[in-house]
Amino acid sequence: MRASIIPKRTADDQFEFAVETPAMAQALAQTLRNIEWAEDVVAGLDRVCVRFHPRHADEIESLFGKTLDVSPIQNKQTAPIEIAIRYGGADGPDLEQVCDALSLTKDAFIALHTRGEHTVEMIGFTPGFSYISGLPADIKIPRLSQPRSRVAAGSVGISADFTGLYALAGPGGWPLIGRTETLLFDQTGEDPFRLKPGQRVTFRAV
Amino acid sequence: MLRVTNPGLQATLQGRPRIGSRQFGIPYSGPADAVSMALANRLVGNPLDATCLEITYGGFSASIEQTCTLAIAGAVDQISAHGRPASAHETLTLQRGERLEISPPKHGARTYLAIGSGFQARFEFGSTSTYLPAGFGGYNGRALKAGDVLNPNGPAQVEKTLQTPQAVRPSFTSSFALRACVSAETDRLSAASLKTLFNKTFLAGRQGTRMGVSLTGHTLELDSDGLMKSAPVFPGTIQCPASGEPIVLLCDAQTTGGYPRIAAIARCDRHLLGQIRPGDGIRLLRRTPQAAAKDHAEKQKLLDDWLVGADDVGGSYLY
Repeated sequence: MRASIIPKRTADDQFEFAVETPAMAQALAQTLRNIEWAEDVVAGLDRVCVRFHPRHADEIESLFGKTLDVSPIQNKQTAPIEIAIRYGGADGPDLEQVCDALSLTKDAFIALHTRGEHTVEMIGFTPGFSYISGLPADIKIPRLSQPRSRVAAGSVGISADFTGLYALAGPGGWPLIGRTETLLFDQTGEDPFRLKPGQRVTFRAV
Repeated sequence: MLRVTNPGLQATLQGRPRIGSRQFGIPYSGPADAVSMALANRLVGNPLDATCLEITYGGFSASIEQTCTLAIAGAVDQISAHGRPASAHETLTLQRGERLEISPPKHGARTYLAIGSGFQARFEFGSTSTYLPAGFGGYNGRALKAGDVLNPNGPAQVEKTLQTPQAVRPSFTSSFALRACVSAETDRLSAASLKTLFNKTFLAGRQGTRMGVSLTGHTLELDSDGLMKSAPVFPGTIQCPASGEPIVLLCDAQTTGGYPRIAAIARCDRHLLGQIRPGDGIRLLRRTPQAAAKDHAEKQKLLDDWLVGADDVGGSYLY
């Protein structure tokens, strides 16, 4: 795909692009990472931000407005990764509340959540945290009014229309519905996080 | 080699920031005030981003277990080396058995203690910097406790005693004027609130962490449906939640956030964020990106006279 991209300056050392979908954000971010002066390129769900040293501002400005070749990310046709989840209890302390809000029994919620394939759209917020789309349209859960200062690694939360997976322990504001022991993080690898944008996943109750 | 006898409120090992890993959700971490850390490292002959101890609100003490070369920069009031007054911004040699004490500073929040060759620390995700929320880097991923022993990487490389030139010594007060640019969602602010943001003095909120400091005293009006999709944020980004109380993000800033980004602290002044104490006055000075870039070049030039040169080219400190 070729894109003419008009960025917005969001700081003296940052430009940002608006795009339509998380997949486009990932593809554009990957393209921009090849540019030498790009110090850091971060994709949001519908934004891509480039951070650069201010001394390169002129070079950057001369580049924008031109057409850019953006290659879509070639997702290797890997099989979906199965995430085994223990729903509720101490592993998912907010499951009851979530079920109440949706007027569902725990079993009905689990049946809904484990249905079909889901897609990792973005990694962000805290280390290895994955935003996973694919929830039924009628599941819309707000964030906790008081975020937790520490959430255990492997915790599974939901918020808005995403499932969130905490690959590492850290702060977290999403209602927790369960926890997985599926290994999401391997420090010994060069690429320590197993889930990447575009990866399909399925959920299974254990 | 030194043994911590009192870490104070929070002491962590910090080295270079993890720039380039935000796509994995990994925050920069590193020093909250990178200029002060660079100044401390310079005095002991280290690369400017060598691993240092970041001490919060002073109240730190340690006993020296092996003669070592140290230097202190950042927020300081009184320093004592075995009961004798010692100076910040000067190379110090402490002997085995001596005791180092750093009192709580009157102004500024963080003090940097550098050791010749840098402190040994856990290297994870490309840096030794401690990121407390997920427990990686630094000293087993955690803040220091009394009894912890810190070792240098090797012998000190510095042969003479150095002093930071007066011209580049920062001095902190209880008010901060920080240059800032408008950002991605500044247009969500009402006209009156935009004026408030750049014309009024805010007070730093009660909870200042390495993730962020809230700006209190004025409530901003925001046209927000609360449905913004998570978008990139960085140290220096000022977010405004529906409450109307802005939050300026620091070195441990999350990588994405869902609140409107109403301004960004200019790159040249981000190092000052690490010195803000609860209750300090904060004034934002509006700059165009072009003017802020020029300010950056000027500050860099001033500091480079001292921080680049000698044998040392390691590490950027204005980011």
